[in-house]
Formats: sequence, structure tokens, C-alpha cells
Amino acid sequence: MTEKVRIAELACGPEYSGVQKEINDAAAAVGAEIFFPDISLKDVKRDLTLFGLDVRSPDLKLAIARAKELVEGRIEADAVFIATCFRCAEAAIVRNELRRYIVENSPLPVVSYSFTERTTSGTLLTRMEALTTIARRRALLAREVQEGTTLGLDSGSATTKAIVMRDNRIIGKGWLPTTEVLKSADEAIALALAEAGVKREEIQAVGTTGYGRYLVGEHIHADLIQEELTVNSKGAVYLADHQHGPCTVIDIGGMDNKAITVHDGIPGTFTMGGICAGASGRFLEMTAKRLGVEITELGPLAMKGLATRVPMNSYCIVFGTQSLVNALAAGSSREDVAAAACHSVAEQVFEQQLQEVDIKEPVIMVGGTSLISGLVHAMGTLLKTEILVPPHSQHIGAVGSALLASGFIREKR
Amino acid sequence: MAKVFIYPTTSLILSDLVSRFGHEPLGSALGIRERIQTAGFDSPPLQVTPEEPKKGLRWAAVEVPSGVRGRMAFIGPQIEEAEAAIIINDADLAFGCMGCARTNELVMFLLRHRRIPVLDLTYPKSEEEGEIFVAAIREFLEKLPKGGKAE
Amino acid sequence: MKEYQPRYRGTHTVYVFVESPEVTPQDLSLRAYEAAPDLMIKETCFGLQITGEPARVAAVVKTLRALDPAHIFVKDRGFPPGDVRRCRANLGGARPGFFGHEFELSLIRFISHGLEALPHREGGESALDALERRKKKPLDPDRLKALFEAEEPSHG
Repeated sequence: MTEKVRIAELACGPEYSGVQKEINDAAAAVGAEIFFPDISLKDVKRDLTLFGLDVRSPDLKLAIARAKELVEGRIEADAVFIATCFRCAEAAIVRNELRRYIVENSPLPVVSYSFTERTTSGTLLTRMEALTTIARRRALLAREVQEGTTLGLDSGSATTKAIVMRDNRIIGKGWLPTTEVLKSADEAIALALAEAGVKREEIQAVGTTGYGRYLVGEHIHADLIQEELTVNSKGAVYLADHQHGPCTVIDIGGMDNKAITVHDGIPGTFTMGGICAGASGRFLEMTAKRLGVEITELGPLAMKGLATRVPMNSYCIVFGTQSLVNALAAGSSREDVAAAACHSVAEQVFEQQLQEVDIKEPVIMVGGTSLISGLVHAMGTLLKTEILVPPHSQHIGAVGSALLASGFIREKR
Repeated sequence: MAKVFIYPTTSLILSDLVSRFGHEPLGSALGIRERIQTAGFDSPPLQVTPEEPKKGLRWAAVEVPSGVRGRMAFIGPQIEEAEAAIIINDADLAFGCMGCARTNELVMFLLRHRRIPVLDLTYPKSEEEGEIFVAAIREFLEKLPKGGKAE
Repeated sequence: MKEYQPRYRGTHTVYVFVESPEVTPQDLSLRAYEAAPDLMIKETCFGLQITGEPARVAAVVKTLRALDPAHIFVKDRGFPPGDVRRCRANLGGARPGFFGHEFELSLIRFISHGLEALPHREGGESALDALERRKKKPLDPDRLKALFEAEEPSHG
């Protein structure tokens, strides 16, 4: 049995919010264990002064001191999990500063999260899985070339994608809206195999990712079942042919959004979330429907409009839709409304998530929403950079899975 | 014997002196003990379940962080039960139950709002201050109903 | 969700801290074992933890305090001793409450002094009044000067 991945917890509030067990459970589910760095009161006093952030909450002081002990190597850990209460301004400042401090001064992978009493281990699982993968499976993540014939499947909340690859080339694609998870997976695989002209028996290794990864993974006997943060990072740098150096990967998904800083194809910091569907691909789907266009036409339509002409707030999908209806009723053009919807989603992601990662260029956008040119344009404007959208970006998870799965072919032989 | 709320609620010194002088200290240990000794859903380490922050809504609104509401779920009833309070005002290094400054501000406010007898202190930094600290606590406690005598 | 069934229901656990030149934690535990063979006693680096029926725990605490009243301190504890949920061995680090105790123990000698001085205060000035006076009165400039001068290292 391999040794457990040791995750140091820096936290304020989880024990009193009833979520410490959820954190422990999520870690245990991915072969990791949570521990609290052992320090003394003397360390707290000294480290607090040295760190220079004069906070009031004692438990945040403790978190700062523990972070400092980790960074300075007096306490060993494989990864760090920073957790504080949602809506606490003091804690948010500490959380951000600690994350930045650890990333800049140590090789430790970090994930930070703001919880409520409703946070469950399920919500934390993907983050913990990514954290342990980055900490312990660097060999897996080092893969840059796809070998043999492999299948990747991304069972997402909105769509299911399948990819067949052979000798570092994509030879078959399948794409479907997710209805029944297993049925959609089977159909997407059938489509990809048909396009590739490959039989199921010829597939040498299979990888799954996305929300349905465990269910589907078991169903199709996957060799690799891996969360989408690391898989998408790998897929993005592979497709963008940017396997070395830094970059940032943004994936605005159907249910949540991911922003990942990547170095040499390995994720560094990442955020994953989305408070409301107003900041997701789902809102753009609703916009397209209301404007009477296909989702594929929304981007080009938005490119012809001007977002500033329409007041739009998509923080909440309900109010966002209301803004949209109001604007149309007030005589706004469909182009302007489409542009405003794209800008609004980009702005929410920018404000809520991109502040938590240090953006490194190039910025690569992936996932289905990266095909909406208006959204990519809006994000580029906000980040003041040219955004890279690699070919097959909508299949990112499936490509990443197929690529990583090829690492299992030799093992099987 | 009067019920005396102690602040910091985790204070060894206050817990000791209040009970030594014949009164009942109300501190976080009692709230934790109650939870640790009650059957229910497993929620280690403190047996504070996600239901507790909801109970905390009695003292703090829903937009207040869950950690504040969860702490208030067991500190709040003690504040309401208290007949007097002793507050150490420079308790900057008390953690865990006292680990959240926002909760502590609310606790302090609610205590003052109760209009019960309150003794305000700071930690002693010399023998001379220690002498006044201990004697003041005894005097304060003696004035409370059914006050006990020092051992 | 998993069901939780508590152990040691209806018991009390207390910490007994000893910071005494005369009584060691070992002395304290010996006396505790003698006085309370029926209670659960756990020795620690700072003293003891005692668990059992509340009235019995209170009685033993009274006996132990009498050994050295100004240097033995007692506090309620929520957890029974050695509980894995709060044990350093399991958490990797100390439970948060430990640091608070560490801080208060750093100034417990002033409390001990205060307790020893209590009998000498009988009939003297009210401590509450003294406290009020101290809060109101800023430090006398001459006294401050004297303090500074006293701190100055001697030359020569």
C-alpha cells in the first residue's frame, strides 16, 4: 500500500461549521489524510510578526504561522488545503495571501476553499483529487505524447464527449448532451469509434473524467479515472502545443468554472466553482434560446454587438434572464444583448475566480464555451490579452483522458 | 452559586478562579461536553453538525459566516443563561472556540447588552497586577447572589 | 450519515494543572490514584485529566487543590482524555485550545502570587476600587521617568 498523501490544513471555522468531517472524508476518498501542522505559541507570535498581516482572529493567526512553518520547511507536507468561512472578509484576505505566499515560496500544491455549512465531501472531492494527483502523480502528468490507441471520455454536467486517439492523433470524436449518464457515455463512445473506424477491442487503454467519471469509469472499465482539473490542464497544453513554461487554463463549464495556472503541463493553483449558474455556460444557452439562435450562432452574433449598450447582471441566472428580457423589450438589438450576455459571464468569472489565481500568459480557453467567440473576446478584453483557443477545445477533457490513459498501455502488457 | 460567563470562554485562569470562589463558570468546555455526550450524527471532532450554524441564526443572520453561527450555537445559550460575566479584554491568543474575532465581538456585545454585572480585566503582567486581578475577581464574585467564600 | 454514539455519557472531565515548586505532576497523580481509584486518571505533561461521575470528580478536585492551593489550577474539559478526535497524535498538531493554555500558563505565576496574597488583603483597600483607579489614572510622568532611568544600563 502506498503511503497516504499528507495534506496540511490551514483553516478557520470548519470545526464550527460542521464541515471538518467533510474535509477529512474527501481527503480519505482520494488516499490522503488531513493534518494540522504542529507548532508552538512562540512560533505563532514570531511568524505573525514576520508575515506582517495583523489579523484579529486567533485561528487565522494560527493559519498564518502554520503556513510559514510549512514554507520554511520546518514541517513536511505533500500539499496544503486552505479553508475558511464563506463571506468572511478577514479570512478571505488571509486565504488569498497565504495561497500566494505558499505558491511563490514553496513547491507545495495548494487549494483554497471557502465553505458554508452546506459544503459536502462531494463538493471537495475533485479539488482533493487534483491536489493529491499533483502532489504524488507527477510521473503520470509528465506525459506529453499519446501512444497506441486510446479512448478518452468526459462525462460532463451538460455534455458528454468521447475521443479516440491513435499515435498522437485524434481520429474519432463523439459529442452529446448528457441525459442518462451511462447511456450518453455509451452513445458518445459509439460515435467516436465509428468516426475513427476502430472497434472497441482495439482500444488499448481508457480514461474518464468529468462529473460522471466514477460511474462511467466503472461501467467501461477505465484504466484511469481522473478529475477534470488535471486532465483539462494536460489536454489544454497538449492541444495548444504549449507543454512547457507557464500558462493559464480557463474552462467555463455548464455547471462550474475552472481557472488553473499551469507550469510545464502540471497544474499549480486552481479555483473551481461558480456561485450561481449566471456565471456559467448555462446562462449563455438560455440567452441563445431567448434570442432564437443556436448556441453556435451566439458568439458571432455577440461579436457584432456592443456590450456596454445593455445593462446586464447575470450574477443570478434568474435576474440575468430578466435583464435580457427587459433589454429586448426596451428595443436593444439582439447583437448587443448577445454581447452583453457574453461580457456578463466573462466579468463574473473574472471577478469571482480569476482573482484567486495569478494569471500567466498565454491564457488558454477550453470547453464548449470556448467556441463562443463573443465570450472569448469578452474575456480577452477583461484580461487584456489575446486568448488562445486550441483546436478541439470543446473535447478538452476527453483528449486529456485519452492522452493520459496511454500511460497505462505498457503497464497492461 | 451564580452562573458566571467567562471570556475568553476557554480560559483556564477564569474557569479555575470562578469555581474556586464557589460559582459556576460558563465556558466553551460545557458546550462541547454537551455535544460530545449527545447521540446524533457523527461530526468529528466537536460533534458540531451542519445543523448548528442553523441554530446560530438566532444570534446572527444568514449572511454571517457559518463559523460564527456555529460558535454562537453553543456560546449564545450560555450568554442568555449567565447571571454575571468576567471579561479579559486583551485575550488575543485564545484559539478554537475563541478563534474567530467576529464571533468574539458579537459575544462581547451580547454580554454587555444583557445588563448583568460584568467585571472587566486585562491579563496581569506583574505580581502586583496578579494580586489585584485575583482579589478583584473574588470581590466581584462575593457580591453575586449566594456567593461562596474563598477556599 | 453515520450515527454517533457517545462514550462516557454523564461524566465530567477536568484538567488539573500544577505549576508548583513543591508538588510535581507525579506527586499529583499519586494522590489522585489514592483518592480516586474509581475514576479515570490520565497523566499529562502539565498535570492530570480526571474523568468520572461529576460529584466524585469535584470531591477529588477539592482534595488535590488542598495539596497546594495557589499552584494547582482546574478547568472543565469537553472531551474525555485521549479522545482520538482531539488527540495530538491523530491531528498531527496540537488542538487549538492547547495554545490558549500555553499562553495562560506563561503568566500563571502572577495568579499564584495573587492567591497567596489574598489573606494579606483582608480589611485593606477594595481590589475593585484599585482596579478602577488604575483604569482611570494615567501613569504619573515622574514615575514613568523613574522607570526609564531604572532600566538604563549603568555605565562604568
